[in-house]
Amino acid sequence: MSVERHYTTQPGAPLVELHNVSRRFLRQRDRRRSFQETFIQFFRRRRSPADEFWPLQDISFSLLPGDCLGVIGPNGSGKSTLLKLITGILEPTGGSMAVRGRLSSLLELGAGFQPDLTGRENIYLNGSIYGLSRRQIDTRIDAIIDYAELGDFIDTPVKHFSSGMYVRLGFAVAIHTEPDLLLVDEVLAVGDMAFQRKCLKSIHDFRYQGGTLLLVSHSLDAIQSVCNRAIWMDEGMIQAEGATTDVILQYQRHVAVLEDGKRAAVSLPPSGVGQRWGSGNVQITQVDLLGAAGVPQSVYFTGQEMSIRLRYQSEAYVEAPTFGLAIYHDSGVNLFGPNTDLGKLSIAGIEGQGAVVYTIPQLPLLDGNYTISVAVVNHNDTETYDFQDRAYSFQVYPSSRRDGYGIVTLQGKWSFHPQESVTVISPQPQVQVSRPT
Amino acid sequence: MVRRLRDLARYRGLVRNLVVSELKTRYKSSALGFVWSLLNPLGMMMVFTLVFGVLWPNNQIEKYPLFLLCGLLPWNFFSASVNSGMNSVVSNGNLIKKVYFPREALPIAAVLSQLVNFLLAFIVLFAVLLIFRSHLSPWLWLLPVIIVVQTCFTLGMVLMLSTLHVFYRDTAMIMEIVMLAWFFLTPIFYSISQLPPYYELWGMNLNVHRILYILNPMASLINMYRDMLYYGYRTDLDFFLRTAITALAVLAAGYWFFIRYSSRFGEEV
Repeated sequence: MSVERHYTTQPGAPLVELHNVSRRFLRQRDRRRSFQETFIQFFRRRRSPADEFWPLQDISFSLLPGDCLGVIGPNGSGKSTLLKLITGILEPTGGSMAVRGRLSSLLELGAGFQPDLTGRENIYLNGSIYGLSRRQIDTRIDAIIDYAELGDFIDTPVKHFSSGMYVRLGFAVAIHTEPDLLLVDEVLAVGDMAFQRKCLKSIHDFRYQGGTLLLVSHSLDAIQSVCNRAIWMDEGMIQAEGATTDVILQYQRHVAVLEDGKRAAVSLPPSGVGQRWGSGNVQITQVDLLGAAGVPQSVYFTGQEMSIRLRYQSEAYVEAPTFGLAIYHDSGVNLFGPNTDLGKLSIAGIEGQGAVVYTIPQLPLLDGNYTISVAVVNHNDTETYDFQDRAYSFQVYPSSRRDGYGIVTLQGKWSFHPQESVTVISPQPQVQVSRPT
Repeated sequence: MVRRLRDLARYRGLVRNLVVSELKTRYKSSALGFVWSLLNPLGMMMVFTLVFGVLWPNNQIEKYPLFLLCGLLPWNFFSASVNSGMNSVVSNGNLIKKVYFPREALPIAAVLSQLVNFLLAFIVLFAVLLIFRSHLSPWLWLLPVIIVVQTCFTLGMVLMLSTLHVFYRDTAMIMEIVMLAWFFLTPIFYSISQLPPYYELWGMNLNVHRILYILNPMASLINMYRDMLYYGYRTDLDFFLRTAITALAVLAAGYWFFIRYSSRFGEEV
């Protein structure tokens, strides 16, 4: 184990360099907290290897000046431990590492604030925790106060602050320390929308000014938009490393496969959230979501083929039923509600068992959770035989050919016409609505 | 060790800010504020004078309040430092787990803020000196040096205890008893000359006075304060040197112990 730390950057050398770094923890965290336990421990055998676990194993990577590295992975994959090693809060158990340059971490905003001191006094205290001298803070204090948007509250003890103000002040101090390397751990999830946007903008600015960044986040969008490289960690090891888009995609694929496995085990039960009603003359007995090969699956990628199969059963002969479904986004938006009537599929009558299939050749949905309602009604929609409201769900991940953000892809095409003169169409202030008379 | 000292020098602003914030928070919500630094020793002096000057019939020490204060103030500095310094690392556990900075800044700041208090209390002491018209020692210039020596000794103890306290929370309980015993074994409210000079233990003839001074640096320190301020005597040089060397050795050992284990604070607090 060797650790090297310098407070200045060295030209050409990586800011952070890790070689086969490992870290061990002992599972029994309360061990030997008192003399009594030490005494008991003395008579026991040495601890068994089962008591230890390794949140980090053989981690190697380096971070060059100007890089922005995103770290993704599920909870408990060792991301935070990695940051703690780099900041120096924890020491590695094995391997060698070097850190060159001043670093500042946005691990916990406002850690170290003294509740009885005013905002201004806490800026000095917090700044010095980050290693700034009094003079350095003097030159920045106005910018910090301005940034934190605290107004007159700056001379109030911070115990009277709202939690938002607290975090704003913490972020303002941390971002103004002008470090060579900024470590960010999920802080973008704090504050209101406006402040979150401001944080993100500051992080972007920091990056454009040549700062080096290490960002840990569950928000893949944030990683995608800020980072040029990414690491996917799982079970204390680096699973993938490289360009952000590639790593994110691999991670999402992995999660998709895992979730699909979990869901297949329970074979799409009605989720229970939805209500079911109807006369029951025709019953929808089963709903299957099928992939291209006709295999049931509950996780799809944008652009894949997807079929929704409704199995029905009716005791007696029912004339001209209409089958329909509706796809909802998690946000509650009804995206599309096709039915056999509008789809010009005429069914003369049904008796016994059968199935109706709705096929989407290229799923236009982007990432998110979706739920499906299914229904069967009589010809002129006066009697509902069976209605299952948002009883089935599936998930979509964006494919590598993602062409935009949002809920759906409209599959439009871009074109570029540099020589063409563009006629500007002035927007119409009034919209003509023809009223039926 | 040199690297750690350089590290600490870089963060001296932090130590200062910690001291300032400690002092500010201590007095911020009390009506009398820092006046308490003066009232507290005065109050204690009155209590002890009442007990040992009035209720105790056979007390032969003259100018007892002054005699007492010369011992009580350094002792208060020491015991308050030990109490707050020992807890300084554990009580800032949240900070230690989140941000890196030289951890020794915490106990150092705890001791220094008590030092400021101690120096303020000297205002009271000098007032009492004037009242009793005590003749000051021509060696009074040595007083700041003695204060520095005591600070070194205290800091060494605090560095060691705060480290121990991270790993064994029993430290605080044990120290409660130890500090009580230490208080009574230090000539604060009595004079060492009031003790029997010799004591027979298992056939050995022990020199009580000598042993007390050798085993208890606080006894030596308080004796030196009294030489300066109460007896108006120049303190013995060999005695002073021995105490100073002990103090520096305790500081060095404490600092070594602290940095040896401080890298594990992040997981243990």
